[in-house]
Amino acid sequence: MSEFTRYLGRIASGAASLVSGMEVTIRYMFKPVVTVRYPRLRLDIPEGFRGPVELVTDPETGDHNCSACGTCARVCPSGVISVQGGKKKAAGQDGEGAKAPEDPFVITDSFIIDFSRCSLCGLCVESCPRKALRFSHMYEQCGTSRQVAVVDLVARQKALAAVGCEPAASRPGPQQQAAA
Amino acid sequence: MTPQAMLDPTHTLSEDTFYLNMGPQHPSTHGVLRLLLRLSGERILECDPVLGYSHRGQEHIAQNKTYLQFLPYPGRMDYLSALMFNHAHCLAVEKAAGIAVPERAEYIRVICAELNRISSHLLWLGAYLMDLGAFTPFLYCFDDREDIMDLLLPVTGSRLTYCYSRFGGVAKDIDETFVTGLRAFIKKLRGRLKDYDKLVNKNVIFINRTRDVGVISADMARAYGLTGPCLRGSGVAYDVRRAEPYSVYPEFAFEIPVRSGGDCLDRYMVRFLEMEQSLRIIEQALDRLPQGPVAPAKPVRVVKVPAGDYHCVYESARGQVGIYLVSDGGKNPYRMKWRVPSFSNLSVLPKLLVNTLVADTIAILGSVDVVMPEIDR
Ligand code: SF4
Ligand code: SF4
Repeated sequence: MSEFTRYLGRIASGAASLVSGMEVTIRYMFKPVVTVRYPRLRLDIPEGFRGPVELVTDPETGDHNCSACGTCARVCPSGVISVQGGKKKAAGQDGEGAKAPEDPFVITDSFIIDFSRCSLCGLCVESCPRKALRFSHMYEQCGTSRQVAVVDLVARQKALAAVGCEPAASRPGPQQQAAA
Repeated sequence: MTPQAMLDPTHTLSEDTFYLNMGPQHPSTHGVLRLLLRLSGERILECDPVLGYSHRGQEHIAQNKTYLQFLPYPGRMDYLSALMFNHAHCLAVEKAAGIAVPERAEYIRVICAELNRISSHLLWLGAYLMDLGAFTPFLYCFDDREDIMDLLLPVTGSRLTYCYSRFGGVAKDIDETFVTGLRAFIKKLRGRLKDYDKLVNKNVIFINRTRDVGVISADMARAYGLTGPCLRGSGVAYDVRRAEPYSVYPEFAFEIPVRSGGDCLDRYMVRFLEMEQSLRIIEQALDRLPQGPVAPAKPVRVVKVPAGDYHCVYESARGQVGIYLVSDGGKNPYRMKWRVPSFSNLSVLPKLLVNTLVADTIAILGSVDVVMPEIDR
């Protein structure tokens, strides 16, 4: 008898826990959906997001501010940056693009970064004395080989400027457009 | 018995025992742990965890990088408590080099670390319940965890492997949006914890699968050097935040949840209750958040650590992290030994799994909550 009562008791407590669990589930059925139908809709990327590093385009000159000092390359924990450049022109002498006139103007030939090994730590961006680097908002990073992650930022900036467009992720997503 | 000995062809098996390799599915998955089990039917006679699949030589990397360059690495050890490991590394170096941290920065670090603790526990909660066959709570947990990541994203810039603390401060100040968002989140999570309580904590199936399963006695926990929720689930009220307070923790009122049974359910409950305590700490920190700078006026780039030995302990989501730093006065650490909680917590498994059923292995392993990259380093 007592065995049977316990059996019934177990069924009752099991049913009670089922009901209390289902109550939560049913309540959430009538709450708004929390997911976004990616890729048709996208979320806004917040300001501080760290995407692959890119060169800041100076609105005045339309060029970057990097002077190939190499600070970022030295500080980078993963050693993924290599900057090439030489002292090309002295200050004031057609020093177009130089931020401070007393700086000897250096033309950066190439700024190559292997994003596949970047840890997005932010040390390069913080240590750049000329604030020439920033994080982009790109987040869809995939490729068919390791080489596609190795990018010359100077060349890319030139190429993009030539056709007058910005890197892909700077464009607003459909959701942002809908909201605007 | 070592795996080699187990695989020795001359090693004779009796008729009804056999070996089973549990995991990993693929070497590139996360959480690569291999459990070599000797079974008699469904019963485990012997268990041998095989480690090292995600060994990256982090301690050796530390020796070859400057203190500053090692910043992003600790977050890759325990990727679920990256902010905490990052904080621990900064505390250790600051202590050794005598770098002062502004009070506001320390408050922000604690807020973020506690948020990280909650998100780590939420992920564990969801994944653990999914291992036990309950899929629904997983989705709720991930929804809440997503909120935490949305809060931390604009501040820290990342979603998982944060690198936010800097020597002498943090990388970025928090703003009003973060504070209001966080207050709203605290309110929401309190409501959610009640829902979890209904969904899970009273669920008969869950209780039957975890109660009296994988019991760790207090003595056994001490003997194996368990820390964190595993130790507190066995009735030992040890938390580094109380035992050896660091940062600004002495200023906050919070409890240390302790359960005495030592079974899977108790370890679960300790983590569950810890989330509420973390919320309390965050609330107090938000109320008292001082104004001021969050980083030194001149960023610390080159750290000079006087020659000597230094030790720093930290309570991560999984237990005590210990950093033993030896400096010879150079730019790089001479040696940086990391004592990580998961390794000791895992070491109890061979003892714990003996004489349990294969089906309980998942319940027990999950309740210990190990993060493999932290163990393998
Ligand atoms: S990006 Fe900045 S730190 Fe790097 S080389 Fe250019 S100027 Fe120097
Ligand atoms: S974010 Fe860090 S890892 Fe990436 S390029 Fe900059 S310094 Fe190197």
